Amino acid sequence: MTLAMRALIRKTVLSLACLAIGVTYLFPYIWMVLTGFRSAADTLAIRFIFTPTLAGFGGVLGDSGFQGHVLNSIVVALTTTGTVLTVAIPAGYALAHLPIRGAAFLVAVLVARMVPGIAILIPIYLAASRLGVLDTHGVLILLYSTFNLPFAIWLLRGFFRDVPGEIREAAIIDGCSDRQVLTMIMMPLTTSGIVATGVFVFIAAWNEFLFALALTNTFAATAPLAMVSFRNEYGVQWTAIGAAALIISTPVVLFAVAMQRFLVRGLTMGSVKG
Amino acid sequence: MSAALAGERRLSLRSVRADGRPLVGPYWFIVPAVVMLSTVYLGPMIYAMMASGTYWVLTEPGSEHLPAGLANYVDVLSSPTFWHAVRVTLLYALTSVVLSLTFGTALALLLDNELFFASMFRSILMIPMVITPAVIAIFWKLLYEQEAGVFNSVLTGLGLGKVAWLSLDRAFMSMVLMDVWQSTPFFMLVILAGLQSVDQNLLDAARVDGANIVQRFRFVILPHLVPYMVIAAAFRGIATMNDFDKIWLLTQGGPGDSTTTITIYTYKIAFSAFDMGRTTAIAWIFVCIVLTATSPLLFHLFKTSRARP
Repeated sequence: MTLAMRALIRKTVLSLACLAIGVTYLFPYIWMVLTGFRSAADTLAIRFIFTPTLAGFGGVLGDSGFQGHVLNSIVVALTTTGTVLTVAIPAGYALAHLPIRGAAFLVAVLVARMVPGIAILIPIYLAASRLGVLDTHGVLILLYSTFNLPFAIWLLRGFFRDVPGEIREAAIIDGCSDRQVLTMIMMPLTTSGIVATGVFVFIAAWNEFLFALALTNTFAATAPLAMVSFRNEYGVQWTAIGAAALIISTPVVLFAVAMQRFLVRGLTMGSVKG
Repeated sequence: MSAALAGERRLSLRSVRADGRPLVGPYWFIVPAVVMLSTVYLGPMIYAMMASGTYWVLTEPGSEHLPAGLANYVDVLSSPTFWHAVRVTLLYALTSVVLSLTFGTALALLLDNELFFASMFRSILMIPMVITPAVIAIFWKLLYEQEAGVFNSVLTGLGLGKVAWLSLDRAFMSMVLMDVWQSTPFFMLVILAGLQSVDQNLLDAARVDGANIVQRFRFVILPHLVPYMVIAAAFRGIATMNDFDKIWLLTQGGPGDSTTTITIYTYKIAFSAFDMGRTTAIAWIFVCIVLTATSPLLFHLFKTSRARP
């Protein structure tokens, strides 16, 4: 047997092993996808062969309550992403390139990243209720933006540091201000990193549950909370849950797959470059 | 740290540098971030510290002015249910990290080979990691259902008996299994990044020296992977300790308090007993636990961040 053939056989066997493991491992996800396409009568029977229907999606998307939740999630996640980038880009740039004493701020950023949400939930809840901002988009946006700042600043600082400091110095000598260096030189050079950071912030805001549960009721409730209602109202509505689960999770899955080049770097705050 | 702050103060008092450029300028780049972080983190933390020194119960007006000293802290630290929650939290994080590290490493080793559709496998296998945790929990709860649940139907189909997944004895294990399912791709991706940065020359040299595949793994690849494993375990450990969504939606901490972690414990005390003094004391104790547990990681991140790339 030639070497090339042995390599081919090895590759085929390993690929098949990967396929088998993958299907087993992803079974819960595959089942979730299938559930979304079942008819209500079909969901109780446990089988893979069935006539797919879009009834579940139609039902969920026609539900004005669910529409509201999804719309809230879109508004909150998009505004959060915009806010975080606006605040974190200058901060990340300053920490990477400007002659400031950033050590104390860096430590503060790291500590803030590690503080458990539950620890500040109660005081924030009390403050929000006293200020009368419970169940508003604004309070979620402010909180989500701040929660994601440490991570975004840290990550962006890493991307800006990949740009040599000499470029900034040359631009400063040519008469640029630091604001111009940032917007006209640094940002165009780090576009992919900025986009990746924005996507990660969007995903985090989209997925957040604890603060949405505690601080919103009906008006500003986000999509993950909608899932809960399908279980409580009329018993378990399998098809609705399957369809809603797909609608809520598919955007994040697609975003993450598109950004997978940066995923490892993002999740480990730059300590693993991927 | 206070010396650095004092130095900063002194510098910022001079508004112009020797070359005439305004010195106050650069700090404006970080001011909005500082303001937001102080408002949302520092403010509530200080407020919580003050509240934890009172006998404040929301349903009893006026109780917020009853000074308690350290009584709330003593109360919490001497409560068996609190220590039970600490044990559950640590055990949850530890079991989940060990298991997902093992599975993640195995998957990474598999994916590191030449495969058909390699990048497609990679993309698909990472899906569980990014699905909204609330969605995962609600769906897994359906999978775990005793009568109509999918897992039990599969077990019955295979001729095995039904399992009471969310019973007193099994709920903790089921909670861990769900988290392992979600965290495995994270370890897989980080370790794959490690595998792909192994020095090929070193591997070739080991091969020339007659090392077999096990020896090459044990003496060349594994030592290279250890830092990646540690970083991944640290990040995932923190995330698991702070997990709320999945546990709340799967078991609400039950049955009994078999899956009550510190986050669930705090949430329950806050929103059922409305005991603010005690809740804020728990919050502070939890912050101290998490910051102590993560200090090596913080130190590592800080140290490596100062080195020029």
